[in-house]
Amino acid sequence: MNDEIFLNERVDVVATFGDGLNPCRPIKFRRPNGREIEITEIGLRHPTTQGKRMVHVFDVTDGGADYRLEFDSERLTWHLKMESDHYGD
Amino acid sequence: MEINSGADFNHERPLIMHVDLNSCFATVEQQARPMLRGRPVAITNRRTDMTAIITASYEAKATGVKVGMRLREAKLLCPDIITLESDPDKYRFVYHKLLDIMRDYSAHVTMKSIDEGIIDFHDTTAAIQGRTLEDIGYEIKQRLKDEIGVWMRCNVGIATNRFLAKTAAGLHKPDGLDVITADTIHQVLSTLTLTDLTGIAHHNERRLNSVGIMTPIDFLHADVITLQKIVFKSVVGQWWHKRLRGWEVDDVSSDIKRVGRQYVLERFDLSYNQILQRLHHLCESVGSRMRGQNKSARGIYVYAKTLDRQYWHASQMSQLPFCHDQTIYMQARRLFEQAPTHLREIGIHCYELEDTIDTQLSLFNDQIIRERQITGAIDGINKQFGERTIHSADTLEAGEYIKQKISFGSTRYL
Repeated sequence: MNDEIFLNERVDVVATFGDGLNPCRPIKFRRPNGREIEITEIGLRHPTTQGKRMVHVFDVTDGGADYRLEFDSERLTWHLKMESDHYGD
Repeated sequence: MEINSGADFNHERPLIMHVDLNSCFATVEQQARPMLRGRPVAITNRRTDMTAIITASYEAKATGVKVGMRLREAKLLCPDIITLESDPDKYRFVYHKLLDIMRDYSAHVTMKSIDEGIIDFHDTTAAIQGRTLEDIGYEIKQRLKDEIGVWMRCNVGIATNRFLAKTAAGLHKPDGLDVITADTIHQVLSTLTLTDLTGIAHHNERRLNSVGIMTPIDFLHADVITLQKIVFKSVVGQWWHKRLRGWEVDDVSSDIKRVGRQYVLERFDLSYNQILQRLHHLCESVGSRMRGQNKSARGIYVYAKTLDRQYWHASQMSQLPFCHDQTIYMQARRLFEQAPTHLREIGIHCYELEDTIDTQLSLFNDQIIRERQITGAIDGINKQFGERTIHSADTLEAGEYIKQKISFGSTRYL
C-alpha cells in the first residue's frame, strides 16, 4: 500500500547555496504546526514550470518519511506538497 | 555502408553503445524517495485497480509483476506493492540529464525512447583518446550516480551495430555492461531464445519455426534466400541477415507521420455527452501537440473500443490542412456520431501531416486567419501561464480525469 498525503503548506526552510552540481540544498524545514524536520538526504531535485514560472522540486527524506518540497524561484517561497509515510509498515 | 547480403560477421571495432535505464520510472522514483528503495514499486498512469502498470521496480519484477499487467493482478502476486502515479516532469528531467551525459562523448546521439539511447562513436575515435568503450561505459554509469543520484543504474551494450548493442545491453540486468563481437556472438546467442531478440515476437517466431529455425543460432546460420523469400517474404529478411552479423541496417530516422491520443474511460457508464467531452479534450491535446511541431493535418481518424472488445473506427480526409482545436473536434465529432455504445476506450489521431505555412490563399482565408489568430493567442497564454489555462468550457469536467502522460516510444514531445 501507499500512504501519500498531498498538501500545500507554506513552510520555513533552512537551505545552503554552495557550488557543485546541486548548489541549493535544503537542510531542514518547519511546518505550520511547528514540527521541525531535519533532512537526511535529497533524493532528487528537478525543475518544473507553472506557466513560465520556474519551480524547483526537491524530493527529500528525514529517514522516516519522504517529502516533496517546492521552491518557487520567482516568488522565493517554499511549499510542502507531499508527505509519504512508512508505506504500510 | 554497401555490403552484399552474403557478408560474414562485421569485424570492425565495436563503436556503437546502447545505454538503457531499465525500470526507468520506478528507479527514478526510488532515487527521489529513498524510503522506496528495496521495495516493490509500480508506476501507473492512474490510481485504479484496472489500470496497467507502465513500469515496475526490480523488486516487484522478482515477484512476477510485469509491465502491462493490471494493477489488480499485480496486487495478487505482490500484496505489498507500492503504487505511484507517474510524474512526467521528473522523468523528463532524468531523460535530459542522460542525454547531456551521452552528448559529452559524441555528437551522434540518438534517443530511442525516454529511457534508452545510442551513442555512435564512429566519428569520435580521436575524441575518446584511445580509451576503450568499456571504460566509457563504466564512466557513464558513474556519472549517472554522481549527477542524478546514487540509486541510478543503467545497462550498457557495445557492438558494431544498434541491434547487437541493444541485445548486449539486455544481457545482465540491472547495471550490466556487455560487448558483442564476432568472437562472442555465438556464445551470446546460445543463451537467448528467438523472442529475446528485439523485433521478434510470437508472430515472427512462428514464421521462423515454420522453416526449422528454432533458436537464435539457427537464425544466425540461416541463409539470406530463406529469410528473404520464405520467412519474411521481403527485404526484411535481408536486413535480419545483416543485423545478426553486426552490420548496420537500423540507422534510419523517421518523420512524424501522425499525432494522436487515446483514453481509456475512467468509468464505463458515461453518457454520450460525457464521452464527447473527453473526445473534445483529446482533440485539444492533439491540436496543441501538432501546433507545437508546426504541423497541420489533412486526415483525421477516430476510433473506439467497446466493452466486448469490438473495434470501431472512422476517418476522413480534408482538402485543406487544419491544426485548430475546434476544426479537429468538429470533424471528430461528426465521425463519432457513428460510434457504437458501451465504450471502454476512445482515441483520435491526425495524419497526412505537413508543415504549417501561410502561403496558400483560399476562399475561406478570412476564417482561417481568424482561427489562426485566436488559436495563436490561446497557445501563447497557455505557454505563459501553464497548460490548459484557457481551454474549452466543454472539457472542464474531462480535464480532471485526462492528464498529460508521458509516452515511452517517442522522444518528440520531451
